[in-house]
Amino acid sequence: MRYFKLPDLGEGLQEAEIVEWHINAGDEVKEDQVILSVETAKAIVEVPSPKTGKVLNLFGEPGDQVHVGEPLLEYADAQDDDSGTVVGKVATGSKDVEREEFIIGSPAAGGGRSDNDRAAGRDSSRVLATPLIKALAKRLNVELTQVAGSGKLGMITADDVEKAAKVQDDFGSAHSLKGVRRVMAKNMAKAHAEVVGVTIYDDVDIHTWKKGEDPTMRLVRAISNACKIEPNLNAWFDGESLSMRLIERVDLGIAVDTPDGLFVPVLRDITGRSPDDLRQGLNNLREAVSSRKIPAKEMTGATITLSNFGTIAGRYANPIIVPPTVAILGAGRMREEVVAFEGSPCIHKVLPLSLTFDHRAATGGEAARFLAAVMRDLATV
Amino acid sequence: MSTDANTKSAPLQVAPGAKKIASAKASKQMEKAAEKSGKLNALPDNKKKMQENGNNVHVVTLVEAVNLALRRAMTDDPEVVLLGEDIGINGGVFRATAGLRETFGYKRVIDTPLAEPLIAGISVGMASQGMRPVAEIQFMGFINSALEQMLCHAGRLRNRTRGRLSCPMVLRAPYGGGIHAPEHHSESTEAMFAHMPGLRVVIPSSPTRAYGLLLSAIEDPDPVVFLEPKRIYRMVRQEVSDDGQGLPLDTCFTLRQGGDLTLVSWGAMIHETLLAAKVLHKEGVEAEVIDVATISPLDMDTILRSVEKTGRCVIIQEAARSFGVGSEISARISEEALLYLQAPVQRVCGYDTPMPFPKNEHLYMPSVADIVEAAHKTLEVL
Repeated sequence: MRYFKLPDLGEGLQEAEIVEWHINAGDEVKEDQVILSVETAKAIVEVPSPKTGKVLNLFGEPGDQVHVGEPLLEYADAQDDDSGTVVGKVATGSKDVEREEFIIGSPAAGGGRSDNDRAAGRDSSRVLATPLIKALAKRLNVELTQVAGSGKLGMITADDVEKAAKVQDDFGSAHSLKGVRRVMAKNMAKAHAEVVGVTIYDDVDIHTWKKGEDPTMRLVRAISNACKIEPNLNAWFDGESLSMRLIERVDLGIAVDTPDGLFVPVLRDITGRSPDDLRQGLNNLREAVSSRKIPAKEMTGATITLSNFGTIAGRYANPIIVPPTVAILGAGRMREEVVAFEGSPCIHKVLPLSLTFDHRAATGGEAARFLAAVMRDLATV
Repeated sequence: MSTDANTKSAPLQVAPGAKKIASAKASKQMEKAAEKSGKLNALPDNKKKMQENGNNVHVVTLVEAVNLALRRAMTDDPEVVLLGEDIGINGGVFRATAGLRETFGYKRVIDTPLAEPLIAGISVGMASQGMRPVAEIQFMGFINSALEQMLCHAGRLRNRTRGRLSCPMVLRAPYGGGIHAPEHHSESTEAMFAHMPGLRVVIPSSPTRAYGLLLSAIEDPDPVVFLEPKRIYRMVRQEVSDDGQGLPLDTCFTLRQGGDLTLVSWGAMIHETLLAAKVLHKEGVEAEVIDVATISPLDMDTILRSVEKTGRCVIIQEAARSFGVGSEISARISEEALLYLQAPVQRVCGYDTPMPFPKNEHLYMPSVADIVEAAHKTLEVL
């Protein structure tokens, strides 16, 4: 092997950003030695060298996006394997029989392996602009990938570039979203376009709680119990085939806010686990998120989601459901409020709740019963 | 002439992806003809062996594939006749017609005088009356005096007679340089014919395509100029199945897939182009290699699809640079794929001079290094 290409990092992730090289061109590396760190949409992954040898070239700088299958580095004194070459050995004038394969016309759409074999560093995004417009953009320092074309077939016009340049002059340049924030933007837009979300709000009186009660753990328990009563909300829904899968096990996605963006690690099989066990599990997940070492598989497969934004501020929200799940519970900030209690006004602690459900998958009645079950569980000792 | 020839005149379907042209009667007739004539001895030994084994796969060079296709066409269709200088008794200066006179007789393999206008003119006459003449011009340099017949008659007969007559002839000629031939033997003037309406220009670049394309050219109801890259006549051997099946005309062939740039060539230059693609592969650049094969009419769909994918294109032709097939392809790309181009289209060509004498021939011919350099140019410009 001469070129080491970015391997598949799992979970269908197609690109990663180079965070740091741990070696230099010219270094001798050992098999399994960590050679660089890349940041995927979900975690920082350390990539080991697949073999022992001398490194001739590194491709890409920290901050560069690399696609799966693109070369990361070149080893010295290695022969490249010719596997996959469409054309066989050309024997000039020899007695050998040449094996030749060819395609009549064009290859099938998609271009076969070539897409994965793109050489390093080239931008694959398509910008429809004439050379004149490209030159104009270069002169005005406008990044064409950030410009929406208003011309025929989405072609970028001189006007588009000049407008973008003016905006850039007045307000500074935009930066392209990367990593987790990029994923968040894509997922939220998709969810918002697809899901028919309805949110129900209510307050639950939690004056019965003991001092030092762990609100997150109470919410986890309440969701677990509510899922038993109203299983339609612990489910995966496919809007395209209009099919629904009720899921027995409750795998709770918990929204975690970080400076890098939104993470939703999954607390597995919450039914029947002790509060201490759950708390320990959640702490582990939070720790993994904050150090960005959380494996991608720990953030997929949630069956329902909890967003405990009240730890910061806010009373109600309308949380967004990420398909294929069908419900998300938001918990706002706890507060003391005058409530009617056993016929007289009293000051009690209340917890505001916002339950969004996908109205394609569940009825209002089911959602309201689910919320009622959550509230019942929270209100009891 | 026989109705058989006329019923075969349906135009080829040439949609990309169209597989092969069937010719069911192929092998049986071959056997019958062999029995009757008892002339199988004319076949080279290895071919004979394979046929005795009941196997129709032959290991052949490009020129042997031409021979194989001619033999097949003559066996399958009694209207197919060959004519040209030294093609009969001599078997052709490159041996493309070796053994055919022995099998099919002097009435179907006709040695003509040294008179190219006569060769082309007789062919036009025979074709217009339902025969399928396959004429050979000994070298492309000698083809010029046959131009009048080809341009003014062969290419225009269908149009001139409003479809009453067609001209299903093939004019074969070895073309191109690089074999240290005298100056008047090395022309690559395919553009001259491609420029003329009504003529198909087909150039194979491997034994397989020589066999398949020549069969289709002979079956085609209109005149085809079939140019054989003589420099690679005996360069490689391939297994060719003598099943009488043609390859579609009017379509390119994608020889190698790649996403980084498109190399477009035809004829003998395909050899250098594929070598250049290998060099680029070692540099981490994946080139798509397209063999144009039918120069006219051009299958721009295949070329455009590739260029839209890669954004970069290098066209390689042995012919002189100006007013050539490469110029046409480049113009069409700029007309139809401008917005996809990441860099100007590059052309690697011969010079606008006659082919030099043998000693300096290599200075004229595009080299692997020239192609790689042009590829680098397209990759540098963003």
